[in-house]
Amino acid sequence: MVRNILFTLALAGAASPLSAAPLTVRVVDPSGRPVHDAVVTLYPAGNAARPARAAGRVVVSQKDLKFHPFLTIVPVGADVSFPNLDPTKHHVYSFSAAKKFELRLFAKDQSRTVHFEKAGVVALGCNIHDQMAAFIVVTDSAWTARTNAQGLAQFADAPNAPGRVVLWHPYLRASGGQLQQAVASGQRSVGFQVRLRPPPPAMAMQDY
Amino acid sequence: MGCAFAALWAGPASAETDLRLFTRDAFELSGDVRLVAVDGEKGWVNGGFGKLRSGSNGDLRVRPQLGNISLVWKPQLSWSLGAIVVGSLHGGQRTEAGLSQAYLTFKPMRSGRLAFSARAGLMWPPVSLEHDGADWHVKDSITPSAINSWIGEEVRPVAAEGAIAFNPGRHKLRLTAALMAANDTSGTLMTFRGWALHDRTTLAFHRQPLPPLDEPVVFYQAPYTHPLLDVGAGFAERPGYYAKVAWQPPAPVRIELFRYDNRANPEAVNDDLEWGWHTRFDQAAVAAELGSGLEFKAQALQGRTRMGTDETGRRWIDNRFRSLFVLLTRPFGTVRLTARLDAFDTRNRGSDVGDEYDDKGWAAMFAAKRDWDHFSGIVELLHVSSRREDREESGLEPRQRQTQLQAELRMRW
Repeated sequence: MVRNILFTLALAGAASPLSAAPLTVRVVDPSGRPVHDAVVTLYPAGNAARPARAAGRVVVSQKDLKFHPFLTIVPVGADVSFPNLDPTKHHVYSFSAAKKFELRLFAKDQSRTVHFEKAGVVALGCNIHDQMAAFIVVTDSAWTARTNAQGLAQFADAPNAPGRVVLWHPYLRASGGQLQQAVASGQRSVGFQVRLRPPPPAMAMQDY
Repeated sequence: MGCAFAALWAGPASAETDLRLFTRDAFELSGDVRLVAVDGEKGWVNGGFGKLRSGSNGDLRVRPQLGNISLVWKPQLSWSLGAIVVGSLHGGQRTEAGLSQAYLTFKPMRSGRLAFSARAGLMWPPVSLEHDGADWHVKDSITPSAINSWIGEEVRPVAAEGAIAFNPGRHKLRLTAALMAANDTSGTLMTFRGWALHDRTTLAFHRQPLPPLDEPVVFYQAPYTHPLLDVGAGFAERPGYYAKVAWQPPAPVRIELFRYDNRANPEAVNDDLEWGWHTRFDQAAVAAELGSGLEFKAQALQGRTRMGTDETGRRWIDNRFRSLFVLLTRPFGTVRLTARLDAFDTRNRGSDVGDEYDDKGWAAMFAAKRDWDHFSGIVELLHVSSRREDREESGLEPRQRQTQLQAELRMRW
């Protein structure tokens, strides 16, 4: 599904009137080990900027008391459905500035849909099961991707223009929760070295 | 009225209302059948000293049995206010059915990092690391530990409980406190029978049998106990309490401290010769995920129960009890294996009940469990060894050993 979104985003980029060339973003930790699941967004300056296009159907399900997937990238204007596949009820919510919402108790095989109209990071939780957590990155740029197992994200058709690359990761140690670097015209690679917090344990506090 | 109920029963709740009384998701049904092979002494359920749910008379007995059946009703009165009502049937020796739990739940939306919740009614306090779900089933095995067997049979008050959870930094804290009543006889089974290992929980208003009592106790104590009973002053004048602190540091480990005190009047007695037992206990518990799916659980509980008048500086009964278990569980492919070791003892220093009632022993359990959609299959081997002198009054050796092999098919809808 995320691949579909990236494909859609890439198609949006392909429509750029400016000349395009690959841009590779590499993210590593202080030991040089690749960091996966970092979300990198390229914001070209001026006329080269292009908003992300609406994706197809995006789903964040709840199964085995976890959100699936843990990290989702959607364009501004996307509708995300939240089907409950667990035998227990969920109460999905977000307090994030990009989207505050609350999906009060819904049971197995029921679903709710939320419209995301503002760019930013949306942290998801469940009011019943406090160990459940996930993130939706709502992007307003056609060039947004997550790093793979090798810590790489590639924009095959990035505009050949100056701009900036913004990086976000669920466990990033950085003021404001994100890092950014300027990109010069013609620059074809960007590198980030990041420090991450250890992921919080997924244990429940034994609620009822 | 009839039409309204029919509408609630017939279809899913509308988006406009959170009231869900009789919709499909308001009900759960679970139950099990099992094949039980057991040796050793007569079980406590039949009035013996045996520490398991089933007993024998020295030889090996193999029987098919109906285990437990629970019907759970979980009506939703509003999005934050609900209820849980559980009716249970216990099969096997001395089959009986009744009300298991009935309480209201309140869970409003959390505000930032602060979450509040509350329960009120007939319910088990949050002690057990082994039980799960509204039907309070044992998660990884058939038989719970000695500690949680006792909680299931003698520690289920009527309580009003509030809990608050918050996250200081990357830590998680949950504080729980409750006022409670109707648990004044807690400690009776612990003293006269001692510890046991079984999944036969108490049912409201039902009695639990006691083993044969010696003189002089037999003259002033009923040969049974009602765990749900208020003896004496009542809730308003002498409420009991329990409290719990659960802490989860930024690591896959949770540490819990729990205190219970029923504050019963040990000199209060009713017309049926059931007494108030002033019972108090503390528990420390740890749950940890050790990697590769391996989970560790441990509970250590110690307490004291007193009953009767204080004529010589000691009450008739003054029983200090303690137990500990450690449990490891891990999935291997589709099968989850669980091993547990229990140790337990009681020390009686009352003026009427002395060390002849002391109970000391250990148990080892090994279980394998496999889940399919609505079914689980569990095979469990349990061995328990214990010593108490008062068995001699019934012609038994003080030291008794029992081994039980069970194969269970568990179903849930």
